[in-house]
Amino acid sequence: MNCQQARTQFVDYWRGTLEDANGEFDAHLASCDRCRAEAQDLRDLWGTMGQIPEQDPSLGLRVRFYDSLRAWRQQESERRRPFWWLRHPAFQTAGAAALLVLGIGIGFMVRGRDSTEVSQLRGEIYNMRQLVALSLLQQQSASDRLRGVNFAYRVEQPDPQVLSALLTTVNHDPSINVRVAAVDALRNFTDNPIGRKGLVQALAKQDSPVVQIEILDQIVELHDKSAVPEIQFLLSSKSVNPDVRQRAEWALKQLQ
Amino acid sequence: MYEASDSSLMQAVRDGDLGGLAVLFERHHRPLFNYFVHVNGNRELSEDLVQDVFFRMLKYRRTYQPDRSFTAWMYQIARNAHVDSISKRKFEVSLGEREFASTTKMDENLKRKQEVALLKQAMARLPMDKRELLVLSRYQNLKYEEIASILGCDIGAVKVRVYRAVRALGQIYFELAGEKAS
Repeated sequence: MNCQQARTQFVDYWRGTLEDANGEFDAHLASCDRCRAEAQDLRDLWGTMGQIPEQDPSLGLRVRFYDSLRAWRQQESERRRPFWWLRHPAFQTAGAAALLVLGIGIGFMVRGRDSTEVSQLRGEIYNMRQLVALSLLQQQSASDRLRGVNFAYRVEQPDPQVLSALLTTVNHDPSINVRVAAVDALRNFTDNPIGRKGLVQALAKQDSPVVQIEILDQIVELHDKSAVPEIQFLLSSKSVNPDVRQRAEWALKQLQ
Repeated sequence: MYEASDSSLMQAVRDGDLGGLAVLFERHHRPLFNYFVHVNGNRELSEDLVQDVFFRMLKYRRTYQPDRSFTAWMYQIARNAHVDSISKRKFEVSLGEREFASTTKMDENLKRKQEVALLKQAMARLPMDKRELLVLSRYQNLKYEEIASILGCDIGAVKVRVYRAVRALGQIYFELAGEKAS
């Protein structure tokens, strides 16, 4: 064994993992002062390296890890839900672009195509609007949900899913502006008994006078007499806002 | 009691059971943290990098191959995270020396502590590739096969490179010790 071969064994020698069954390494060290000195000096150094204490990370590392893991799991489970991609901004941008292209396409095609194809295209646009409206109504941001309500106006063929999303928005959306807009958008669905009933039932669930007044106005506009018991129930409450009370009394007179 | 291997846990994570990652975190976050502290000397950055490693594992979990050592795969990711952090922050290895300065002042009279402090300073002055190799072989106690897998070389080359890294460390260490003695 020469010096170069011996030096490649040094790390095993320091680690205590050297396999030197025929004693070649030991024999070389015994005969080579330079290798022996180097092996010894560096072995001490290797030992000292082991004395650098290990450090503990802060507790914050563990907290941050588990928080992030929880967030990741939530994201994953949302991805597994059907139509998760509807909520993805990339899809929404693509959807908007597709609508634009479809619109332009229709502009060019409408003159030369027969009415069947045009009605098919129109059907696709309705579907697209429904999808975009549904997806925007589920966004975190109130301005996105308002955009969703605006899309709901454009759904010319009233769709039960859009109606259901609008009623949920009227009853549960945290933003008053979004709720008021959703009440207004329900005008499209007043031919639907579920839409009319949902509007009337929403009256009692509202805590915002602005939304209550908007609903009362719409009930009067529709001249929906089935709403009378709901309005009377509202008036029976002592805590009802004075402006709402006044508008409710006016609405009752209009319906009689 | 039966204890799942790292590899089987990582396979479970790969197949969608993210809970396995929590067990892997509990097993490996401390050694990983010490790996980063040794190579960059910065505790805060090291914690960020540990976090980064575990989320890279999640992100790239489908690339995990069970026939390869989990530890080698993890340190491969750790190396990449470290390299990316250098390119992002243009990190200069000076913190290790700063840490050394404060440590030496604390225990000048204790020989052993002084040696350790001197060694930390020598480690901080060692080129990054050599320091990293020493951390993997000495502190993380990885097998030659695992280091070879991480570095993409054969076992013989790992042995030679570890030896050269120790020798380079020794040169700096003995120089520093000489400066102190003179």
